[in-house]
Amino acid sequence: MSVGIIMDAILRMLHGIGITFGLLGLSLAIGSIIAVLLLLMRISGRWWLSWPAQLYFYIFRGTPILVQIFIIYYGLPQFDWIRDSMFWSVLRDPFGCAIVALSLNVGAYVSEIFRGGVLSVDKGLLEAGAALGISTPQRFIYITAPLAIRISLPAYGNEIISLLKSTALASTITLADMTGIARTIVAETFAPYQIFISLALIYVTFTWIIQRTIRWTEGYLGRFTIR
Amino acid sequence: MDAMTGWWDDYFWASITVAEVFVCSLFFMVIFGLLGASAKLSSNAVARSLANTYTVFFRGTPEILVVLLMYFGSAVTLTAIAQLFDSSIRFVDIPPFWAGTIAIALVVGSYATETFRGAFSGVNPGSIEAARALGMSNTQTLFYVRIPEMWRLALPPFGNHMLSLIKDTALISIIGLNEMLFVAKQATSTTGKPFTMYIVVGVIYLGFSTIITLATMLLERFANRHVRRAP
Amino acid sequence: MNNTNDPIIRLIEVSKRYGKFEALKEIDLDVRKGERIVVCGPSGSGKSTLIRCINRMEEHTSGQIIINGHELTDKTKDIDAVRSEIGMVFQSFNLFPHMTILKNLTIAQRLVRKTPKAEARDTAMHYLGRVKIPEQANKYPIQLSGGQQQRVAIARALCMKPQIMLFDEPTSALDPEMISEVLDVMVDLASDGMTMLCVTHEMGFARSVADRVIFMDHGQLIEQAEPETFFNHPQHERTALFLRQILRH
Repeated sequence: MSVGIIMDAILRMLHGIGITFGLLGLSLAIGSIIAVLLLLMRISGRWWLSWPAQLYFYIFRGTPILVQIFIIYYGLPQFDWIRDSMFWSVLRDPFGCAIVALSLNVGAYVSEIFRGGVLSVDKGLLEAGAALGISTPQRFIYITAPLAIRISLPAYGNEIISLLKSTALASTITLADMTGIARTIVAETFAPYQIFISLALIYVTFTWIIQRTIRWTEGYLGRFTIR
Repeated sequence: MDAMTGWWDDYFWASITVAEVFVCSLFFMVIFGLLGASAKLSSNAVARSLANTYTVFFRGTPEILVVLLMYFGSAVTLTAIAQLFDSSIRFVDIPPFWAGTIAIALVVGSYATETFRGAFSGVNPGSIEAARALGMSNTQTLFYVRIPEMWRLALPPFGNHMLSLIKDTALISIIGLNEMLFVAKQATSTTGKPFTMYIVVGVIYLGFSTIITLATMLLERFANRHVRRAP
Repeated sequence: MNNTNDPIIRLIEVSKRYGKFEALKEIDLDVRKGERIVVCGPSGSGKSTLIRCINRMEEHTSGQIIINGHELTDKTKDIDAVRSEIGMVFQSFNLFPHMTILKNLTIAQRLVRKTPKAEARDTAMHYLGRVKIPEQANKYPIQLSGGQQQRVAIARALCMKPQIMLFDEPTSALDPEMISEVLDVMVDLASDGMTMLCVTHEMGFARSVADRVIFMDHGQLIEQAEPETFFNHPQHERTALFLRQILRH
């Protein structure tokens, strides 16, 4: 196995970068919106909102993402009404299914991260806001949210990295992301060490870049708030 | 649920397999984690950089890739060795059970490394000084002060590591271990009821996770019994 | 609408309980407009709870609290409007750490009063001048000393042009050398005719500024008098004991 063949393999695997980062970006965006909704349900103080949000987290935290992907991709078509519904154009496509599964997961985990951030905001600041006559929703937007985001950022970064790793699961439902392509190449060449380790190093590099970016943002946002 | 008739047995044995993988990988995960943590805390620069490479690599690589690498990598190596002795051998592999167990233990062990390291350095230096001042030996300090205190700090993340392990067992179906996803796939092809078959897998995993979560909570309560404030 | 002789704050048999614990026991208190009151007492005596009930940071359990002729109840529609008329200064400053000093001073004006930006800014700079740190406007709270932060907090409350100022141990979290700069600002404010309720242990401040000193213990209002009488001829044994303890040094 010469270096040239490894280089060829790396170039081929990098063709999957679009799918990998498409999965990452879309699920992160959709998942973060789900997370905010779940967070608002959780801190609403109404049991009929907070209870379903907790159940949601319990289910998604307690089951493997791979199983969720299979339920959505292989399982849902069992029902005719799903195949007749408007969602079918998304759910019959492996890319769509992967997005749905990953977004739902990100939503669950990120809502917990945001909740931790919200809970850690100094109560005195909210009191000061209340004493000035600032309303509850405005206190959330102008005081809680900016501080909570800053506090949640490191955990949010770790979640992005977990998500990057989870996108590799899409290769199990026929998607040609970087991992999917690597599996094809290994099946052709039977050179698992060279191919898989090269790919692992590519993932490690991206992880490192994400970590750096988050750390930089953290420092930037926290430049006047770190005590 | 009628579709499940005749398949309960298979699911039962498959979940036993999952439990076995979990227990074995838990054992190796703790070992990898402790080795990694002591390497990171050691004064030996080589050990430290080895441990760093270990955590950076496994925390940055998708679990599924590690499982594939472990299985196919070992198969290639073993086949090559076997062919030295008997050139007619086409394929030798290590059982998917062990390839998978070691793979997920390596991955989660890299997270446990950080947990154990953090817990060890999180022990209040004042307690250690106090123990020294009372004339306790290093070993006594380790067993009576450091470990009980560290254990309390490490438990909550350790609970999460156990959850990761149980969920990562699902990945081993990819290299052909006869576990729950594998059973669900077979059952689907006979019954044509994929949703039912995969939901059952999900529910069983949820059961495992619940047991682990409850066990962690009990352990935490036990570990914190003397630091809780008086009511 | 209000007769000038009507009290601006009136408490009638106000009680507050936390479960079984009685933090306030049937407090009666009238505060006239422009009056300066110092509340003192041992820790846990309910003095902070008392002033926190006045802007409804805490809800009283029974009795009536009447601010400017309006009673505070859970039906009070616009509690935020009432609060914006009552300035509050906290022990731990509670400046918003992610906003500049100027933003700290303008945010409530903009959100609650809907003041135009330029006007809010002018008001903010005016009060920053009054607390003598106009040059810090574009810094963040963490870049200021504790004394400066507390002065900003006072200015922040003043920007809402409140009718009443509540001070909850404003100097307790400060290093000794910074206490006087905060007290100076408070003295200045008092000479301006602001209605003030201060929970504080600064007895020198009480002596020179207060119209009335109130002593609380175990949730009860034990004694109230003019500073002269209060310090020299306390009527109650508990007051005398408390004064001996804090004036010993």
